[in-house]
Amino acid sequence: MKSLTIRNLSKTYFDAYAGKHVTAVHDVSLDVAEGEFVSIVGPSGCGKTTILNMIAGFIPITGGEILVGGLPVKGPGPDRGVVFQSFALFPWRTVLDNVAFGPKMRGTRKAERERIAREYLALAKLTEAAGRYPNELSGGMQQRVGVVRALANEPDVLLMDEPFASVDAQTRMTLQEELTRIWQQKRPTVIFITHDVGEAVFLANRVVVLSKGRKLDEIDVNLPRPRSWDELNDNDAFKALSNRVLQLVRAA
Amino acid sequence: MITALHRAWGRYVRLTTHWPAVASIVPFIPFVLMWWAVVAAGLFPRAFLPSPVDVVHSFADLVYKGILPEYLQDSVMRLAVGAFWGIALGIPLGILIGMSQLAHRALWPLLLFFQAIGDIAWLPILVIWFGYGLVTMTFVIVYTVIFPVILNTVLGVRSIPINMHRAALTLGASRLRIVWEIVLPGALPNIVTGLRNGLGYGWRALIAAEIIVGTSGIGFMMFDARRAGSVVEILLGMIILGVLWYIVDSWILAPIERATGQRWGLVTR
Repeated sequence: MKSLTIRNLSKTYFDAYAGKHVTAVHDVSLDVAEGEFVSIVGPSGCGKTTILNMIAGFIPITGGEILVGGLPVKGPGPDRGVVFQSFALFPWRTVLDNVAFGPKMRGTRKAERERIAREYLALAKLTEAAGRYPNELSGGMQQRVGVVRALANEPDVLLMDEPFASVDAQTRMTLQEELTRIWQQKRPTVIFITHDVGEAVFLANRVVVLSKGRKLDEIDVNLPRPRSWDELNDNDAFKALSNRVLQLVRAA
Repeated sequence: MITALHRAWGRYVRLTTHWPAVASIVPFIPFVLMWWAVVAAGLFPRAFLPSPVDVVHSFADLVYKGILPEYLQDSVMRLAVGAFWGIALGIPLGILIGMSQLAHRALWPLLLFFQAIGDIAWLPILVIWFGYGLVTMTFVIVYTVIFPVILNTVLGVRSIPINMHRAALTLGASRLRIVWEIVLPGALPNIVTGLRNGLGYGWRALIAAEIIVGTSGIGFMMFDARRAGSVVEILLGMIILGVLWYIVDSWILAPIERATGQRWGLVTR
């Protein structure tokens, strides 16, 4: 695990249809400590996915800098694991081989990487699914695989791009609870992108509110862990925090 | 009556799940019976339209003389050699063009130009260059197989979601490993479609080439039979073509499809 530092990050690109330059991200700075869980929340088009794509190295930055463990980001790499909204599991690989993919690329031998994969699958209660193909799993199970596949590669920073947006509401709550549990066990540094205010507050140590490419505010979340929806649904502190974030997002 | 039909159909379905070969033979029974009936009605002279039995006799006769096994082997070998080179060249080229913008710009117009010159259109010049031999045959088959393989491979490579590449990169895959781990399996369903088209065209091109430049093979046998006025051997050749393709499809192509694209949920059954 390492810290993540974002300084004066900007992204402008040329919109060929409009025929002008558009600023998607403007002067965003953020410090994420080692082992911290930070949610970035904002409405569609606020630039949150653009920021994640720049941290991941998928798209180039046009201003400022991104440092992981003090070193600038140059393209995608295994130090930053990504969990995709679309899962992006490899359909031609079994669940076990999907999770073992990162260790395999590192050159870990077969027996050892399968041991690692099984350990992480157990963490997400996926032991039974090891031999199945992704298309044979429900959406919720697929994304569990997506999360542990990224974790099994032991990245310095885990980037999650609206990972639970395409599963049903009940499954989403379960996945959120499991994620907080796994985070407490493994303590990865996490950037979690979402448009769901409740989700952002529920998961994070800190919530960053983004609007029109700018950082509006940061709000610390000092709720006790382990967190569960049963408890937090009636928790006044959780409600107050959620309302504050919601007001910021809506005013944006 | 309806329930009896229903029950019979149920029994047939159960039978074919136990013996899939039955399902591939049964549809031909009415067809052969009709053929038989037309012959038995005596509308045409026997030399003009032989009966199924005559064809079976001719089959046994040619197998006994050793002509048919030899010709069959020649044709299948030519197709196998041509298909091997068509696949060995076509898939890497397709992946290159699919992945590299530069390769696409450089090669795509050439590809479309040469695709338009049909395989048979090459035969006149090939015969002058290489004579009536295996080189000419192989060239024609490779030429026919390679275009569908390349075009479908390119399509397959380009239809892999960008997040597959991104996921592999963030898990530490190098660009080279991505070709093997992501691009090849991701494009495989399209590659198999390309193979299916390519081999189908290749099989036809082979018969055409054998008719024009051949000295052996199923195509040669059919054309030779025309010279001898043996309709029965022509019909036999036609039947062999259909049966062979059926075997290639159900023993080679379909199992690959079941084990890959269908298994992975990339292609719906």
